[in-house]
Amino acid sequence: MEDYVSVDSDDDYDYLYYDDGTEDGGDSDRLEFAETKADADSQSVNVKVITRESLLAAQREDLRKVMDVLSLKEHHARSLLIHYRWDVNQLLSGLVEKGKDKLYAEVGVTILEHRDLVSSNFSSSKAKKSTVLCEICFEKVPTNVATTMDCGHVFCNTCWTKHFIVKIKGGQSRRIRCMAHKCNSICDEEKIRMLVSTRDPILAEKFDRFLLESYIEDNKKVKWCPSTPHCGNALRIDDCNLCEVECACGLKFCFKCSSEAHSPCSCQMWELWSQKCRDESETVNWITVNTKPCPKCLKPVEKNGGCNHVHCICGQHFCWHCGRPDKFHGGYHSCGRYTEDEQKTRNAKRDLQRYMHYYDRYKAHKHSSELESKLQKTMKKKMSELEAREITSKDYSWATEGLNRLFRSRQILSYSYPFAYYMFGDIFGSEMTKQEKVIKQHLFEDQQQQLEAHVERLSSFLEAPFNEYPDNEVITLRMEIINFSTVVDKLCRKLYECIENDLLGCLTRTSQSIAPYMSNGMDKASEVTDCKGL
Amino acid sequence: MIDFARVQKELQECGKDVEGSGIRVAPKSDATLARLVGTIPGPIGTPYEGGVFQIDITLPDGYPFEPPKMQFSTKVWHPNISSQSGAICLDILKDQWSPALTLKTALLSVQALLSAPEPDDPQDAVVAKQYLKDYQTFISTARYWTETFAKTSSRGIEEKVQKLVEMGFPEAQARTTLESVGGDENLALEKLCSG
Ligand SMILES: [Zn+2]
Ligand SMILES: [Zn+2]
Ligand SMILES: [Zn+2]
Ligand SMILES: [Zn+2]
Ligand SMILES: [Zn+2]
Ligand SMILES: [Zn+2]
Ligand SMILES: [Zn+2]
Ligand SMILES: [Zn+2]
Repeated sequence: MEDYVSVDSDDDYDYLYYDDGTEDGGDSDRLEFAETKADADSQSVNVKVITRESLLAAQREDLRKVMDVLSLKEHHARSLLIHYRWDVNQLLSGLVEKGKDKLYAEVGVTILEHRDLVSSNFSSSKAKKSTVLCEICFEKVPTNVATTMDCGHVFCNTCWTKHFIVKIKGGQSRRIRCMAHKCNSICDEEKIRMLVSTRDPILAEKFDRFLLESYIEDNKKVKWCPSTPHCGNALRIDDCNLCEVECACGLKFCFKCSSEAHSPCSCQMWELWSQKCRDESETVNWITVNTKPCPKCLKPVEKNGGCNHVHCICGQHFCWHCGRPDKFHGGYHSCGRYTEDEQKTRNAKRDLQRYMHYYDRYKAHKHSSELESKLQKTMKKKMSELEAREITSKDYSWATEGLNRLFRSRQILSYSYPFAYYMFGDIFGSEMTKQEKVIKQHLFEDQQQQLEAHVERLSSFLEAPFNEYPDNEVITLRMEIINFSTVVDKLCRKLYECIENDLLGCLTRTSQSIAPYMSNGMDKASEVTDCKGL
Repeated sequence: MIDFARVQKELQECGKDVEGSGIRVAPKSDATLARLVGTIPGPIGTPYEGGVFQIDITLPDGYPFEPPKMQFSTKVWHPNISSQSGAICLDILKDQWSPALTLKTALLSVQALLSAPEPDDPQDAVVAKQYLKDYQTFISTARYWTETFAKTSSRGIEEKVQKLVEMGFPEAQARTTLESVGGDENLALEKLCSG
């Protein structure tokens, strides 16, 4: 009887593994872990990006650890790791706790202690017993077309193959059990691969991919990047309960809920908000935020920069948020505040208005940050013009850092509106007394408005055509930008602290939390794109 | 894609031991082996004793690598069987199915389920609650249902004819066959199936 286990290597599935070099584990540059740590912040975590190419290497690293410590075959190590969601340490402590035999039985790992003996017994009895009755198809088949699994159960190859195909198609590649009733043993993946590939090579490839992807899908510490179209990356983070990360492809996302980065809005609030936006956009057609009528001449005015104060061709300045004529360009204003009088309208209308109030501001800041990203280009131009001049300082980090501060704080402002919508709305607001709610809402809005005003100022400074300024004015502007950047940073941190401790912390029925404030932006899972090289 | 050769062998194998086990499996019609009817006697010493229970069996394309679908067509009062639809909550009909099991072994498991209900994992919450809170009432209800729905003699001839018609047999043929076997539904079915 030819047991497939004795067939040690077959070209059909060698493609799965790296060439010779990697097998001995010495080829470390194959491990494409681009490892970076966010600089200043103490909160920063270790983020690695796993590309499709390095997925196998990352998985092999964990497999090898378990195979070495327990001297197991790869498919046994894999079964154990899948059982423990790819947490090697938990697996090892589970082993100490339960003991080898109990754990192996639980997971379905069957070890043949004396494989040589068994197979030699088989070959000696081969002459006597050349057929075997397959208990699945009830056919007598020659032993050379039957396969024995680790558990000792033998069935014909046709039946095994059909069984594997049903399981793989049913999405159960990670745990294909033996066909015998009540046999918990996991089938040898090499035998599965071998049998399936002769019948359906494409499915055999899929099987390999499923096994590979289990490393990500069953792994607590690893998440696919949610980009569409998918960039092919997954990120691995050690020790993160709630944080936001940036993939090598540039997408920033929440590691907890896999949606776009949404702090200082909590995951639950963000989910509610996204759902609401989808629902509302179907029924109400007011999401045209690209133009607004001028309060003086009523012509539609398009927003042409990140600043929320717009200029109509008639000469009128007005606030993009509220449409109020406002002649102090960049001045402090409080239109992001929601006044109680607006609440006096009837319920349905009130709810819609309330939503629109928050939605408008949420969208306006989003829109601003999109427009401001164009600033990057003009900024580069302005700086190169300055560089051509004879000026004392050639350091323009104040401009690029100011710009980055602006981008980050715009995002924060934007997401602070859905947060406020839910925090002080019916769902979560009911967890506070009315008086408590009023006090907290004021506390929050004061901080939000203060931040908003400073962000608008920062935006206007950065929009200034300073490349045309005389040297002394450039120096003054530089000071303003540095000062405002510092203040905006502090205000953002304060806002996060206020939300986490004073607001979400007081909710009693639900437990909400936000990712910690990252002064220097999110942890990136690749080489940091150098802002100085803009 | 159903392995009909195996189903054939299963039917033959099962037919050899009807006397011993009381378990029968027969095709619903001559047209296909994918739809079958299983019959199990109620276990002795249970409120189901004396009843004969019919189970609709549908074989999925992947049979025997996928579990057969089974559902009581005889109404039964049991915590793990829906009193409304006859749906059965049994692990071997779901994730614990193994291709090494057969229709007969599956029906034996269903029969064993009648003897040993698992009210903690109920299919019918009302029945399960009664089983746990008021066992005596449960027993008498189950017995009453057995008397009413699972006993051949208690069922009117018209109802049996109707049932056979629903299975796809011509009404006249169903009636004469039923009369020829003295009103025994199962015998009539077997006779109709064997042609
Ligand atoms: Zn077979
Ligand atoms: Zn086995
Ligand atoms: Zn990505
Ligand atoms: Zn989230
Ligand atoms: Zn105008
Ligand atoms: Zn402006
Ligand atoms: Zn304004
Ligand atoms: Zn306003």
